[in-house]
Amino acid sequence: MVQKSQDIAVATANKLSANRLSLYYGEKQALRDITMGIQANTITAFIGPSGCGKSTFLRCFNRMNDLIPNVRIDGQVTLDGKDIYRKKLDVYEHRKNIGMVFQKPNPFPKSIYDNVVFGLDINGERSRSVLDQTVEDALTKAALWDEVKDNLHKSALALSGGQQQRLCIARAIAVKPSVLLMDEPASALDPISTAKIEELIISLKDSFTIVIVTHNMQQAARISDKTAFFYLGELIEYTDTGTLFTNPQREATENYITGRYG
Amino acid sequence: MSRKRSTAKIKDKLFKLVAIAFTTIALLSLVLLIGDILIKGFARVNWSFLVNLPSRHADQAGIYTALAGMVSLLVFTMITAIPIGILSGIYLEEYGKDSWFARFVEVNISNLAGVPSVIYGILGLQLFVRTTGLGNSILAGSLTLALLIMPIIIVSTREAVKAVPDSLRQGSLALGATKWQTVYKVVLPASFGGILTGIILSTSRAIGETAPLIVVGALAYVPFIPEGPMDQYTSLPIQIYNWTTRPQADFVTNAAAGIIVMLVFTFLLNAVAITLRNRWYKKVKI
Amino acid sequence: MTHLESELKKLREDTEAMWHLVISQLEKTHTALTDFDKGLCREVIATEKRVNSMELALDRNCEHLFALHTPVAIDLRFVLAILKINNNLERLGDIAEGICKYLLSEDQAYDKQLVTATQLDEMFVKALAIVEDTLTAFQGEDTKLARTIFQKDEELDVINNLANQRLTEYIGQRPDNIGQALNTLSMIRRLERVGDQSKNMAEEIIFYLEAKVLRHGGNKKKKLH
Repeated sequence: MVQKSQDIAVATANKLSANRLSLYYGEKQALRDITMGIQANTITAFIGPSGCGKSTFLRCFNRMNDLIPNVRIDGQVTLDGKDIYRKKLDVYEHRKNIGMVFQKPNPFPKSIYDNVVFGLDINGERSRSVLDQTVEDALTKAALWDEVKDNLHKSALALSGGQQQRLCIARAIAVKPSVLLMDEPASALDPISTAKIEELIISLKDSFTIVIVTHNMQQAARISDKTAFFYLGELIEYTDTGTLFTNPQREATENYITGRYG
Repeated sequence: MSRKRSTAKIKDKLFKLVAIAFTTIALLSLVLLIGDILIKGFARVNWSFLVNLPSRHADQAGIYTALAGMVSLLVFTMITAIPIGILSGIYLEEYGKDSWFARFVEVNISNLAGVPSVIYGILGLQLFVRTTGLGNSILAGSLTLALLIMPIIIVSTREAVKAVPDSLRQGSLALGATKWQTVYKVVLPASFGGILTGIILSTSRAIGETAPLIVVGALAYVPFIPEGPMDQYTSLPIQIYNWTTRPQADFVTNAAAGIIVMLVFTFLLNAVAITLRNRWYKKVKI
Repeated sequence: MTHLESELKKLREDTEAMWHLVISQLEKTHTALTDFDKGLCREVIATEKRVNSMELALDRNCEHLFALHTPVAIDLRFVLAILKINNNLERLGDIAEGICKYLLSEDQAYDKQLVTATQLDEMFVKALAIVEDTLTAFQGEDTKLARTIFQKDEELDVINNLANQRLTEYIGQRPDNIGQALNTLSMIRRLERVGDQSKNMAEEIIFYLEAKVLRHGGNKKKKLH
């Protein structure tokens, strides 16, 4: 009884939460009993070695794991206190409230303009003025407007890698989600583009709750408020970033961040 | 230079020469064939040839009805085959991926693409001409041809759709699009070039078919323009075939002339389609 | 401004705040000596807690900066310099507190003759000026000014070196006031350390700006280039 009300407390206090979440690919268990809460308007980083389950966990929040056959979930994931795996949930509406940016920039082979308005287009928005304004707002927030404002109808594929990724960010934020999930958003980019993306992510904190998976610990250290360390599907440590990188509580965490791991 | 190096160099040169030789032979054969046709028939191709109705007199015979028949056949074949072919391809690749049904269909389609075209004629004869009572009409001929080219369209649609990177689908779904919205707004536009290629290939195939059309009753001597899908018809390959069976030398000339027209028609069709496809790729790739 | 730049800016501002606090501590101590104001002494001693907590906060901020941003080049040297300057400032705070304790231990104002003979007041003024100059050099990133600190410190050394002899003379004349004389000697020693601490801070300023290490015999007397 007490456990249940504690769970509810965790769920409602946080923007996003997981409660005893386990995930199985067929027989193989990829996530083990994960419990954590993420507060609104924070940047949370998930770090850990390859295959530790951080991307899998990230994809639970927008139910993109549903697309993989043989996936099974135990436990609970909530957004704004409500279980997102409940039967009545409209997955498509849910995904509209959660934006996702992938490791490799994936702009559609369409114009820059059409890319940004895609989310509105599938919602049936047809008003030219609304679309135009959204494009300008989103591209400005993504620090791309000045570079492309005169070429909105050129193909998105003509942009450089860093610009494409900022375009993907603009596309994700155009539908004004409340949460942004980013799966290694800068790992395919050169250092200068990476720095720009990091500054951009920090600037977005005021408007979104951001969760970012990264294999680059320094990146997690630079931009996140809280960091979660995962290992073999388990959540090992989850605390303020400053604390995790100066005085981690668990030996496994310290071994990983000092590079003594493996 | 060591022994081994010089042997390798000689082999390299030899291979080059052999490759050039074979290419030349192939090209030469083509040149000879076309040259022969051109010599035989070029003079005969004139405006009257194009607009005359068929006749027992070689010098008065023309390919007007054959052209009309061919175009009509093409139109109805495309109307039938393209939508069904594309939608089937999409279904197999996007929706039915893991079902037993899809796999069953997949195996059969690959086989169908290799079946001799005259077999389709026999199938069409039984199914369209006799059982459904369409007789030897354009519709029966078109449906038969549609069956024939559908595997080509399905396979190329599947390949084109398969070539669309999964990351695009993921991006679309992550924005809250449904599966159909993703297919319609992202996958189809991205795969359009490949699909168009499939349509081009199948069109060329359809134009040139003779055997199945003969089986389903395309007539050899049609002195009228078909006015509706239920009319009788002929097509250019059949007309050419018919002329080659006549003993008079002038009909051989006619046949050659007809072949030239066919070739030009095919080249034009391909050129248009390829231009369209390249324009599309430019929009999509840059 | 990048995230790192704003963190470095804050670190600088916090350091300057501590510097100002320490200067005001020394100023109050000087006034307490001149006016023999025990109340002011108690204020200084109470405020020492704040100086200490500022030191802890700065240390923690530097630690976080290293861990989270792994600064390099001038940023790295800057944070390393701040760590050391931080300690120097804390010791300046200790010196002010210490001198105040000597003032509190006496019932009467210090004998004017004693103060004049030993140049105690002058030393105080010079010491304060050195600390202020070092702050100015830090704020203006002025290595030229920083290099003048070494010379100014020597002036304090001179007064310190003469102290023994002068006090011996004074004690000879006024053996009844030996208590104040001994306290004065201690205060002079303390003020000499103000010069040393400032010298260290000046070295750190030159280190982070020029990547030159002047500690332990590096060429301090080299003419400015």
